[in-house]
Amino acid sequence: MNLDAAFLVALFLSTLRQTTPLLFTALGGMFSERSGVVNIALEGIILFGALTAAVVVERLEAALGPGPHPWLPWVGVLAAMAVGGLVAWVHAVVSIRYRADQIISATAINLLALGAPSLVLTYFYGNATNSKEVTNRLPLWGPEGFALSPLVYLAFLLVPLSWWVLFKTPFGLRLRAVGEHPEAADTLGVNVYRMRYIGVVLSGVLAGLAGAYLAIGFLNQFVRGMSAGMGFIALAAMIFGKWHPLGILFSTLLFGLASALAIQLQGTEILPAVLVQAFPYVVTVLVLAGFIGRSRPPSAVGKPYEK
Amino acid sequence: MLTDPRRLGVLVLLGGGVLLLLWYLAPWAVPHRSFGGEGLLLSPFGHHLPQGNLPQGYRDGWLYPLFYASLAWLLLTLAVAWSKAGPKGLFWMGLLGLLLFLLTYALFQGSVAQANALGERPILRRHSLGLGSYATLAYGLYLLLLARLFSPGGLAFLVRRRGVVVPLFSLLLAALLGGVIVAVLKEPSGEVGSLREAVMLRLDLITYTYQLLFSPLVNPSGFLQSLLLATPLVFTGLAVALGFRGGLFNIGAPGQLILGAIAAMLVGVYLPGPRWLVLPLALLAAALAGGLWGALPGWLKARFGAHEVINTIMLNYIAASLFLFLISANEYKFFGQTLHLPFKYPGYEARSYEVRPEARLPHWTELVAPGGELSFALPLAFLLGLLGYVGVRRSPGHRVLSALLLGVAGYLVGGLLPGPAVAFGPDLTSVRLNGAFLLALLALFFFHFYVFRTVGGYELRALGLAPKAAEYGGVLAGRKVVWVMFLAGALAGLAATHYVLGGGIDEYRLKQSLPYSVGFDGIAVALMGQNTPLGVGLAAWLFGILLTGGLQVNLQLGISRELVAVLQALIVLFIAAGGFLPRYFTDPLRAAEVELKAEEVKR
Repeated sequence: MNLDAAFLVALFLSTLRQTTPLLFTALGGMFSERSGVVNIALEGIILFGALTAAVVVERLEAALGPGPHPWLPWVGVLAAMAVGGLVAWVHAVVSIRYRADQIISATAINLLALGAPSLVLTYFYGNATNSKEVTNRLPLWGPEGFALSPLVYLAFLLVPLSWWVLFKTPFGLRLRAVGEHPEAADTLGVNVYRMRYIGVVLSGVLAGLAGAYLAIGFLNQFVRGMSAGMGFIALAAMIFGKWHPLGILFSTLLFGLASALAIQLQGTEILPAVLVQAFPYVVTVLVLAGFIGRSRPPSAVGKPYEK
Repeated sequence: MLTDPRRLGVLVLLGGGVLLLLWYLAPWAVPHRSFGGEGLLLSPFGHHLPQGNLPQGYRDGWLYPLFYASLAWLLLTLAVAWSKAGPKGLFWMGLLGLLLFLLTYALFQGSVAQANALGERPILRRHSLGLGSYATLAYGLYLLLLARLFSPGGLAFLVRRRGVVVPLFSLLLAALLGGVIVAVLKEPSGEVGSLREAVMLRLDLITYTYQLLFSPLVNPSGFLQSLLLATPLVFTGLAVALGFRGGLFNIGAPGQLILGAIAAMLVGVYLPGPRWLVLPLALLAAALAGGLWGALPGWLKARFGAHEVINTIMLNYIAASLFLFLISANEYKFFGQTLHLPFKYPGYEARSYEVRPEARLPHWTELVAPGGELSFALPLAFLLGLLGYVGVRRSPGHRVLSALLLGVAGYLVGGLLPGPAVAFGPDLTSVRLNGAFLLALLALFFFHFYVFRTVGGYELRALGLAPKAAEYGGVLAGRKVVWVMFLAGALAGLAATHYVLGGGIDEYRLKQSLPYSVGFDGIAVALMGQNTPLGVGLAAWLFGILLTGGLQVNLQLGISRELVAVLQALIVLFIAAGGFLPRYFTDPLRAAEVELKAEEVKR
């Protein structure tokens, strides 16, 4: 094993990059679950976000001609956020308005995310597995050798921001009230349905952001199944982080480290790559088994509210 | 309420308007279609003929009288709906509509046959009725539905059958949305003269897509292929449905299937012995491995309270890694040490060695006609087994035992009876339907028997409906959760026998292309089938048909076959939302209210 400084620096940067999509998604999941709606559709929403970002940027490139367009990836990011919010809104309508089983409704969206990208990709590119590569990726910010995507900074900035929103603003208070005791919140004049819609759509917007990061920040195209369970890992991280921004920061860093290790160990002769890839998933199972007993979800989570 | 009597006339008017619009916009009949989907579209409002004129020998004279007759019928239905005759009259009108459709079908087929009789090879191919004619059929069925709904107790009738109504309605909604998707994705070929013609081409394209999707119903090899694709779906559908019955959501069927496949491969390749020993052992190993892989998240839930949804999904990824580890290479480095594995078959492709002939499930031709002679063994075994189960009126154990004994007797006797010689064409023998299909049927019976006829199944359902009540009633919830997940995993594991032991795709071995995502399709199957064995069987078959037809859609129209996956997902979404039907279709308490009200009216 060559645990020299270069390896550690690469591991550190890789951890930050791997943590970013998890952090976006887990914070999103936190907003949704704090409002009382389980959203395991985040996995699928990441894929929809990634698909949107890649296709929008590539199509605009094709229309505008070559040449660097520094604003172009940001259009892709915004589009991914919008589509993420839209898909989450579908989950919200089905599970809030029609009081569906939230897990089933979200699973439907995840199934949709397995099939729908192929239709879109076949329509635009004639192949069912990946989009054309884009030239206008998100830029890298920071000193030479340590440059990171702006979305990495944004993800870590979102931690204190969402802590402030959740615990220091009236909005955050209402959101939490709706997830803990909707009847009481309703009596006090909080619009339960509206708060839940906001929570779910917010989670979709953030998961869409994670997807955009994967497609045009981390890579430069959409690849089928590129989320690889990140949505579910993020949910596990959210549970492990006790539905709290700071806890989520640390737990996603743990998962990010596991993924980064998996990447850094590939090609070395320490462990076979195919087994190392399972590392984050094993960590998820262990974490859920070992620590969940001590954390408590919002008490109204998963239950449809009826006035 | 849905059945306010004042609504009847409005609803019929609405339906009639849609019918008239479809008659105007959509083709009535398509006597000929070329490979890419472009067709000769006939409509009483003007044909669309790419070559300029009707094909030689085809007469469309029947179309116009039929149109006027249909128009008269439509006006009559409107008059009846607004008159005093109401529901009862509509019932007869609906039947009349069905008759009209049959007449259309007969006239059209007659004309096509007449034209095709002129040449040696058929002049007209891929002929079918168009959306305009189907609209007549749909409107007739709609009238029948309205007639039932608006007669006394009609709503209660529908609400009581909500287990069928909600999935069917969701299917219909998904099909409508799927039509929109097709319209967006695919530009119809052919020159367009007017707006009406543009719409006509698009509607025809959507219709043709669905005709292709359901085409396996009308040709024998497609039919067998649909059964082949339904086989694993039955297993995974049951695996998910069993979890639902026990209040658990088993998204782990893909992983359980993979473990089942690995175990079946290990026994099938490396265990020498006679067929009667090796084949059952291989099946057992698949079930056991899948079961243990399923029991793991069950145990994690019972012991630590970890939610099974995320854990089963994680185990799917872990299983996929394990699977690749076994068959993608034979040499691995662990901390500099080299590990040698014997599982990968030499060559570029990631696959295992072939399963021994003794451990293979027989091909369907060997079951139906061993040695080229039709065998009565299986039908007789099935018949006698059923008789044994239904005829004996004692405890469930006695019934199963007698069914088994009689089934075996029937198999032996039927095997001795001489049968007529048969030969199947290459299009039929190339379909790799195999003994796993029979296992799937057995699994359906097992599910029915276990869930609805045993104490364990009763406890399982109690746990799913009201966990706390079940626990106070004496169900050991923790142990039950592990057991349910074990059984579910075993069912999913058996799905793998179709691929590894039955050669369900192309070879009798474990391959990287193992389509373990059918485990996810099981979710759609279970929901569509409402967690009942009959429902799961039918839903699996439906998806088997659509998946087979999806290949045709891809081949002929160039639309990705993932269209079927999207339809499945939409069906799940719509069923989750109760088909967007009023609440008394989803909420059992409100459903009971509706039924009580109907009882009161009757008295």
